[in-house]
Amino acid sequence: MPHAREHRVVGLKRISGGSSRETYAFDLEWSEGGETRSRPMIGRRDPTGGLLKSDREREFKVIEAVHRAGLKVPEPLYLELDASVMDRPFFIMHRAAGQTGMGAFPAAESESTRAKVADDFISELARLQALDYRECELEILGAPKDLEAPARIQAAHWSEIYERDRMGEHYPILDAAFAWLKANPVVSDRIVIVHGDYRSGNYLYDENGIIAMLDWEMAHLGDPMEDLGWASMMFWGREEMAGGLMEREQFYRLYEQKTGHRVDRERLHFYQVLGNAKMAVICLTGIRDFVERRTSDAVMPFLELLLPALFEDLAKQLRLI
Amino acid sequence: MLRPTLNELISGMQRTIMEALLPELTSPYAQGQAMSAIAMLVHAAAVLESAPAFDAAEIKDLRATFAALKRLGDKHISKKRGLRGALSRATRASAKNPSDRRAMEEAMAAFATAVALGDADESVARQVRGYIKRNLERSRNLLGNSLPTA
Repeated sequence: MPHAREHRVVGLKRISGGSSRETYAFDLEWSEGGETRSRPMIGRRDPTGGLLKSDREREFKVIEAVHRAGLKVPEPLYLELDASVMDRPFFIMHRAAGQTGMGAFPAAESESTRAKVADDFISELARLQALDYRECELEILGAPKDLEAPARIQAAHWSEIYERDRMGEHYPILDAAFAWLKANPVVSDRIVIVHGDYRSGNYLYDENGIIAMLDWEMAHLGDPMEDLGWASMMFWGREEMAGGLMEREQFYRLYEQKTGHRVDRERLHFYQVLGNAKMAVICLTGIRDFVERRTSDAVMPFLELLLPALFEDLAKQLRLI
Repeated sequence: MLRPTLNELISGMQRTIMEALLPELTSPYAQGQAMSAIAMLVHAAAVLESAPAFDAAEIKDLRATFAALKRLGDKHISKKRGLRGALSRATRASAKNPSDRRAMEEAMAAFATAVALGDADESVARQVRGYIKRNLERSRNLLGNSLPTA
């Protein structure tokens, strides 16, 4: 905004959600050509602790790239890496309208809204997976050296975080899950941009469908089955409705139609085991940061309550019950 | 008995947040955190009441499961995955007073891993699956079966 003058931050308030970063809503007002203009904004600042340790520069560049490619994401506007400006690095995006939830798509919503959101949800995933990460200049995400690497990299990554954050405890089902993941790596058919947290609860929507996919901090390059497996985990929807959006088998058929790629059940299973283990580890990270006083977010201790459902799903997947 | 008791203190803190603090908060984020703090205190009170029984049941079950595994004898305990060593460590841990629960859970992790990888004898797997099933049931009774909700 080269001609903008007298910038003002109006109505700054912290909002819940996006637990991996502190999230603030505000309006930016400025004067331009004798007129006062305004734009709704979201600021995301690095936390002192929380669910994830992720790189905000990577996240910002991914959002920039997919926004450029025309995907439904909030427009990224500014990235500030200098911690002296606001204590910690932050970035600013356009604040899109719409509502969101924390998990499965709300059962109380109309059938028409649900159907549009479900269709958009899979369409956006198909569009994301159709992008060439090189053309998007996303080599910074670290291209796996071959098609065997994605499964090994993800299993090793989350296993390391588990070792770091389990605070000396052993969770037999999680130990077994990581051993199984390391012993049964799958081979991808191609390398795509993986959102890393593609699920119900991570989009803004209204009665016309999805407005923007959110929370790109775990984006990386990998197997397309990873996002599909995560999105259709029992955890985000329970019963037969994937993400509370549509019946699970219908969900996979629609994915096949929109991507032109078949759903590989073996890889899907691998990434659903990984997904449950990863979510359990994310909970342990939040609990550790709360216990060790890196965050005072009162939501963190409740992550313990999510573990039984995740462990039960893992135990079923690994035939431990 | 010292008064207020721990439960009375927790209950009092909930009321302080609800009646004195919450009405003064104007930010929705701060209000949400205050509500979560109240819920945390409710959870703490429930855990204080239920955790000792949960811990006792866990230790009893681990001890019983390892005793049953030991009774199966060496021919059923595969050398793979260090199961014999894990069983020895678990037996020592369960004989301690109080039992070393963390060491027993570490040993159980080795057995669960062997079962998941198909490296355990069926009679061993039956014992391990039995324990895991009971452990999950106890955890659900203690913590519920929560999912992220919209």
